[in-house]
Amino acid sequence: MTNLVKAEPASVKHALVKQKVREEESQYLTFLLDKEMFAIGILSIKEIIEYGQVTTVPMMPNFVRGVINLRGQVVPVIDLQARFGRPSSVVGKRSCVVIIEIQLSAEQEQHVIGVIVDSVSEVLAIPPAQIERAPQFGAKIRPDFISGMGKVDDKFVIILNVDKVLSVDELSALTERVDEERHD
Amino acid sequence: MNMEQAFQTFLAESSELLQDMEDKLLGFDSCDDCAESVNSIFRAVHTIKGSAGLFGLDEIVAFTHVVESVLDDVRSGSFVLDEQLINLLLQCKDYIGKMVDSIDGEAVLMAPEDLTVQAVLEQALGVYLNTEHSTAATALVGIDDADTYQSVSVIESDSAMANENWHISVYFGTDVLRNGMDPLSFIRYLATLGSIVHIETVTDALPGIEDMDAESCYLGYEINFHSSASKSQIEEVFEFVREDCQLKILPPYAKVSEFIDVIDTIQNDELRLGEILVRCGTLTQRELDNLLEMQHAVKEGGTHRLIGEIVVEDGLASSEVVTAALHKQAQGKKAKEKQAQTVRVDAEKLDHLINLIGELVIAGAGVESEAHLTGIGNLMESAQTMTRLVEEVRESALNLRMVQIGETFNRFFRVVRDVSKELGKDIDLHIDGADTELDKTVIEKISDPLMHLVRNSIDHGIESPALRAQRNKPATGNVKLNAYHESGTIVIEVSDDGGGLNREKILQKAIANGLVSAEAELSVQDINKLIFEAGFSTAEAISNISGRGVGMDVVRRNIEALRGTVEIDSEYTVGTTIRIRLPLTLAIIDGFMMKVGDAFYVVPLDIVEECIELNTNHNVGHDGRSYINLRGEVLPFIRLGDYFSKTGGSAKRENIVVIKYGSLKAGFVVDELMGEFQTVIKPLGPLFERVPGISGSTILGSGEVALILDASSLIHLVMQRDGKAISAAAKQSALH
Repeated sequence: MTNLVKAEPASVKHALVKQKVREEESQYLTFLLDKEMFAIGILSIKEIIEYGQVTTVPMMPNFVRGVINLRGQVVPVIDLQARFGRPSSVVGKRSCVVIIEIQLSAEQEQHVIGVIVDSVSEVLAIPPAQIERAPQFGAKIRPDFISGMGKVDDKFVIILNVDKVLSVDELSALTERVDEERHD
Repeated sequence: MNMEQAFQTFLAESSELLQDMEDKLLGFDSCDDCAESVNSIFRAVHTIKGSAGLFGLDEIVAFTHVVESVLDDVRSGSFVLDEQLINLLLQCKDYIGKMVDSIDGEAVLMAPEDLTVQAVLEQALGVYLNTEHSTAATALVGIDDADTYQSVSVIESDSAMANENWHISVYFGTDVLRNGMDPLSFIRYLATLGSIVHIETVTDALPGIEDMDAESCYLGYEINFHSSASKSQIEEVFEFVREDCQLKILPPYAKVSEFIDVIDTIQNDELRLGEILVRCGTLTQRELDNLLEMQHAVKEGGTHRLIGEIVVEDGLASSEVVTAALHKQAQGKKAKEKQAQTVRVDAEKLDHLINLIGELVIAGAGVESEAHLTGIGNLMESAQTMTRLVEEVRESALNLRMVQIGETFNRFFRVVRDVSKELGKDIDLHIDGADTELDKTVIEKISDPLMHLVRNSIDHGIESPALRAQRNKPATGNVKLNAYHESGTIVIEVSDDGGGLNREKILQKAIANGLVSAEAELSVQDINKLIFEAGFSTAEAISNISGRGVGMDVVRRNIEALRGTVEIDSEYTVGTTIRIRLPLTLAIIDGFMMKVGDAFYVVPLDIVEECIELNTNHNVGHDGRSYINLRGEVLPFIRLGDYFSKTGGSAKRENIVVIKYGSLKAGFVVDELMGEFQTVIKPLGPLFERVPGISGSTILGSGEVALILDASSLIHLVMQRDGKAISAAAKQSALH
């Protein structure tokens, strides 16, 4: 029965899938943080929900807003502005929580994390040719948080490196430090 | 069929079959139906061989074939399953398990040292096979006499007769190839069970060349098959295509001339014993096969089978009579084994269901409160009914996770047997309360600690036979596993009638190790608990079973991780009982909810001693002093609001929740008491793993998230902080 399975044109199928992935990879969700436009690759985004009912977790650094109930799952919510070292986001009418799935490595399970954004704009296709490398400085954000600068209508959109910005290891290490500082 | 899925099934099935094989081997000394035990051992090996063959795992096929041959001879009575053979078969079982574990892709990758093990095992098995050859020869001689008359005894005696051939007619469905099955592999595999005397390909179904679909299968085969295998075994060959083919297996023992006639008639009126039974709905195909199998093995059973089959073949007896007889047997069998009907479900699916139901409960609570707002009587009533039903659904969904502990317990028969043999002790294992149910995750996590405890009991608990004789105890030691429910918790006991704990020795050792100070006065329980300290062992010699002083420490930590406790009852020279107390489930606790500011917090209800109002009589302000006089006792307290930097919500009347955890007693000052709350624990995830004082979260009826406090770590944290603050203040004043 193995010969039958082999007969399938696997390589063709594989190439098709790859192409599709590439197309999706070049799609980005853009959103505003204090009037500045950012983008996140659409593949890591699970959903977008209205901001509300965030339970604060005590003794956490200010970039951890707290946790929300996402249909029975308890999901931490990160304030991106505070994570970038800027003043915390002010929650407004159009504030949203973007739910992001990140996978640190093949063995580890997926983590779901929410980030607060001021407003969600649209989904844009930015072809790889239109993406510049991140500037060494000047973006006022740690360079390793930026995966590239997308050119859209002659303006730059900062494409975030979600795995770095929301690195669970780094975040939890930071929470620990806050705790030590508080008690010293 | 998806091969990957099939392969997963193969892995799961193999481990189950091997477990079954081990159980049967270990229970062989005390079985009431030994023939059936041998049969199920044989079946286990055979099924693994068959499935492995389908996946082209030749190494497994080759090895299992040898084991199978030996078992087949046991089955036919060539020799008995004695102690020595049981040991050998147990080793074979382990080795097969190892092979299945080392399947990598399409091949079995064994380490060289394992291959030597295999060679040794095969050699040992070969000894049995060689003796068998001579008995087979004598059996052949016997058959010559029996050949003249077609009697029951012929059928029972042996399978080596030339005219005793099976007839198999198999017509594959048109979709067989599309489903990834190659008819040839089944026939090739069939050949491993015996020899194909003749095979005829039936091509009647082939359409004209223009109508033919190259991916369809139109072929059927008529096979004249010589084998000593049973009907169920032959049927198992075609297990993977059973739904996709028309299969008829006719047993041997018909005269060749009659044989063909019989095939024709049977094919025409479709009257097979199995089909009658299945049609009556009294038995499934599998049960029927098991019955036939069992009958085949039991001597008198042989006649039953013969009669049953011949009767139907000849079309003489009414089907009801046969059905009734088999039905009766099936019922007797059922009552004996009390085999529960089970469905295998993916644990993930179950978790998903429970999550969904959790959401349903929350949504239902929302509907009910909305309904109350409308004030419409009928609506409120309906909403209430729904809420009640949803609660019931939740209860039963949580019950789905409950598993009997018996299976975990049964594994210890092997451990006790092996370890006691190694130590030269004679030990019996007794099991009680095997049907006690507890959460699957708890069961998984408890089996390691139990293993340590049982090994410990055998090694340190039970004395050597000489010492037992000196103490006037029976030579055979007893280890007992027991499980029962007690007031919302499950208790698991590991007890032995061995030497018990020598408390003096333990105390001396503990003092020598610096675990306790020499002056300390310890209660009996405290001394007993010393054996759970890390690195503590009174054993003079470290054996490879225990004695390093690591095991018990791990046991305690594992049990504490499950929110359980351990107690030890022990009397020197009489015996020891270790009692593990665990919560029924990890998913739900009885919580006590309180409100600070606008946030809700939950603590486990059983640590809450009492709640009192913090009134002006207690005369405390925010002046830093944080203790009150609780009926003459000093009670330190923590203002949760201050501690968690909660602003606002300064309630008019604050309350103190008095917490007692072990020897710690403290108060938590909160704004409002919300009362008892059935808390479904949700993990907070890796981000909050290192947050002290918080152990998890739960979702309230309103959809909000409430945090579950870890009272003991919270109190310890405050103690540390206060200590630091005081020493810092002392330093400051010293400088001035």
